[in-house]
Amino acid sequence: MKLNKLILTAFAGAFFFASCSSDDDSVTIVEPKGDYENGLLILNEGGFNAGDASISFLSEDYVLENNVFSGVNGADLGDTGQDIGLHSDYAYIVVNNSHKIEVVNRYTFEKVTTITTGLDNPRYIAFSGAKGYVTNWGDPADTEDDYVAVLDLSTNTVASNISVAEGPEAIVENNGKLYVAHKGGYGYGNTVSVINAASGTVETTVAVGDVPNSLEIDNGKLYVMGEGAPSWSGTETTGQLTVVNLTDNSVSQDFVFDGITHPSNLVIEGSKLYYTIDDGIYTMDVNATALPTEALFATTAQGVYGVYSFEVKNDKVYVGDAGDYNSNGKVYIYSLTGTLEQTFTVGVIPAGFYFNN
Amino acid sequence: MTIRKLLFIALLLLCQYICAQNDTITQLDEVIISDTQLRDYSNSQSVQQLNDSVIARNPASLGALLNYNTVIYFKENGLGMVSSPSFRGTTAQQTAVIWNGININSQLNGQTDFNILNAGDFNSVSVRAGGGSVIYGSSAIGGSIHLNNDLSFDDEIHNALLVKYGSYNTVNANYNFKASTRKFSSDVSISRNNSDNDYEYPNSDIKNENGQYYNTSYNAAFAYKLNEKNILRLYSYAYDGERHFSRTLAAPSQSKYQDINSRNLLEWLGIYGGFTSKLKAALLTEHYKYYARGNDNYTFGKVNTWLGTYDLAYTITDNLKINTLLNYTHNKGEGSDIEAKERNIGSGSVLLQHSVTQKLEYEVGVRKEITDVYESPLLFSFGGSYDVAKFYTVKVNASRNFRIPTFNDLYWQGSGNPDLKPESSYQAEIGNEFKAKNFKFTLTGYYIKLRNMLRWIPTGSVWRPENVGKVNTYGVESLIDWQKNVGSSRFAFDGTYAYTVSRKDGNSSQLIYVPFHKATASLAYSYKNISTYYRHLYNGKVFNTSDNSSQIDAYNVSTLGAEYHFKLMQGLDIGVQVHNLWDKAYQNVATRPMPGRNYTMYLNFKF
Repeated sequence: MKLNKLILTAFAGAFFFASCSSDDDSVTIVEPKGDYENGLLILNEGGFNAGDASISFLSEDYVLENNVFSGVNGADLGDTGQDIGLHSDYAYIVVNNSHKIEVVNRYTFEKVTTITTGLDNPRYIAFSGAKGYVTNWGDPADTEDDYVAVLDLSTNTVASNISVAEGPEAIVENNGKLYVAHKGGYGYGNTVSVINAASGTVETTVAVGDVPNSLEIDNGKLYVMGEGAPSWSGTETTGQLTVVNLTDNSVSQDFVFDGITHPSNLVIEGSKLYYTIDDGIYTMDVNATALPTEALFATTAQGVYGVYSFEVKNDKVYVGDAGDYNSNGKVYIYSLTGTLEQTFTVGVIPAGFYFNN
Repeated sequence: MTIRKLLFIALLLLCQYICAQNDTITQLDEVIISDTQLRDYSNSQSVQQLNDSVIARNPASLGALLNYNTVIYFKENGLGMVSSPSFRGTTAQQTAVIWNGININSQLNGQTDFNILNAGDFNSVSVRAGGGSVIYGSSAIGGSIHLNNDLSFDDEIHNALLVKYGSYNTVNANYNFKASTRKFSSDVSISRNNSDNDYEYPNSDIKNENGQYYNTSYNAAFAYKLNEKNILRLYSYAYDGERHFSRTLAAPSQSKYQDINSRNLLEWLGIYGGFTSKLKAALLTEHYKYYARGNDNYTFGKVNTWLGTYDLAYTITDNLKINTLLNYTHNKGEGSDIEAKERNIGSGSVLLQHSVTQKLEYEVGVRKEITDVYESPLLFSFGGSYDVAKFYTVKVNASRNFRIPTFNDLYWQGSGNPDLKPESSYQAEIGNEFKAKNFKFTLTGYYIKLRNMLRWIPTGSVWRPENVGKVNTYGVESLIDWQKNVGSSRFAFDGTYAYTVSRKDGNSSQLIYVPFHKATASLAYSYKNISTYYRHLYNGKVFNTSDNSSQIDAYNVSTLGAEYHFKLMQGLDIGVQVHNLWDKAYQNVATRPMPGRNYTMYLNFKF
């Protein structure tokens, strides 16, 4: 790292002295912004109270590096890595049980700062303008203390809070609006809040399927995957995919899953929508009028209990397998037809994929 | 039904004896032992007893006492926090804690937290290694810990006050009152412990925040001789404690946990000729409250257990003893996360002990449980000991033991599995015991094959307990005692060592939080009124991930103590201790640093 910096400084110095008058037309040397540009960041959640959250980096030519954060910064990431937000030159790593956000340079992974004040059970992050928006559960048993923390990205401090309904989980931004899925903390939510980012107010609430776990925006529509209430909730319900028209926040379509089914991991890539049920991968056209009846493929051969994390990008399907949730997890990369192409051993509980470009 | 019949027979016997005004009086032992099976049916296994002088010099919690003086490994979630044993490589649920003869493991999670028992409340603590389910029921797979209050009718009064004050504003106090006449005996103990427990993490700027705790416990035993043949006994225990659960290196904490437990045991002991009859009734209550965030919201669980036991021992000849145990247990549990349920368990055991010659003896036992909740295996135990030479005894023992599913396993909301079977194990051991005048050395090798191990595993999106685990464990343990008096000097050395391999079937990875090596040593030297002692614990590396990709390093930690004895009343000892003498930074559980060098001073007054 240090050597890199020295070389950079030397180059910069050389340019300064040799060509201060002709920056624009000098020879183009594309300096890499850092070791972690153009590849896949994998957030390994780690065990709750085990303090072993970590980040793996998979380069485009499939070279894996584990423990990126601790390797660069000489300190562990924290307890229960929940989400990474990439914005401008920075990665904002939300560490749930440490109640903090680690801000690092997204390309070098050098630590910029740690945000601890104003966060209480932080979950997911999204951005609008010069602000970050972080969903917080507060006390998961308290239905009244949930909020979205507004992060001033110029100072990396929590500037204000927006009170929301219980259990705000996934959050996405579109045209100055924030959409927050209320999965429900320790309870079971079934709404999406629409927040005006500029005014910091909740404009409306959209009723969706039970326990919404993932959100995607595509072509003026919000897709909300509800996994249904679990068996231990008392009244188990089936999953539901809700499509919301963003021009008037009206529900344009509801897909109810057959029987009792618990889907998760909604992803839209190109004109296709993908999700998972247990160890099966499903897909449908974004404009389809019915849910697929057959899985695209299953990960059974790899012994995946249930797909823990999931992404589809450039004709590849990425599956994170938490295994026994105690030892190092696996990442499998498949073709769109389900041919296993790559297998990697990453950190404990791979929980999210983030393409760093 | 059977109990009633036996009771009836017992009453008949009693009547006969009273009516007959029998002159040939069977003298009762001066000391009344609460757990006779530990004395009479444990000869083919290793039993290590820790007496009250060892207890006084060790930390107040039972977990710390056992950690420094026995082969048992403890996984402690930070100093004073939840402490779970692994005995012979087994899990915390596979170690039974027996209080005056009855099993007190939690019905909710199947284990005992060794940091919520105060060692000073008991006048003897014994460690019985190996299988004991035939006598003690569920969980006695790795071994059992016996907390006993033995009473005597010696017409004396003893008071003992032990007060300790140490770093982090830690106070441990124990007062013990023993009084007896020829007819009545009592032993009452009260303990109080509290600590700020806010030590600095070595090599860090973080303190052990939210680690404070307090607890108060009461343990009492009373006996009353109705006549020379009949004694009534009452054992009572109460515990009330609150611990904040401390932070880790990576995560702050606001949580706290309250335990409110009580145990009451009433016993009628009768000795009629060769028969010793004990009728016992007990009520055990356990209740916890967990406050995740330090505010008023909490979750809880509570179980009340009613127990009835009839224990009839018969001495057929001087060399042949037989003992039947009939047991009925009723549990009633409820909680914020479990379904409210009741369960009934009946069991019967027969034990036989035969001294064939002066040198050779053997013991045999069988037990069967009947319950409507799960199928229980037929348990057995047989073992023998043979004095090969004056200084050398060889012991062998084989047994089948079990661990029953807990309330949490069976009735957890939405994920409990009512179809679980008990875990069961086959195990065998060979022990060698060498004895000389001042010296005792034992070396035991064992093998445990555990089946139907209960594990919570992810099934789709739900975690459920299943009988999936198969674990094979083998190892060696060794104990050494040595003492010598030279003039006014006295030397004593105690050491333990355990080598343990514990693996899932067909897997070469060691189970998490089971060290390959653990050793303890304590050396004491006294000259006239001055004593010094040094104790050392070596805890080998443990893995904290099941694929053995991550480990917690081995550590050495030791305590140096010095004590002065004043001949005041029945004796006054004043002492100081330096813990973690070498100021080593170490962790017992990942991300939970233990304290650096710290101090305790104490006063132990007997009057």
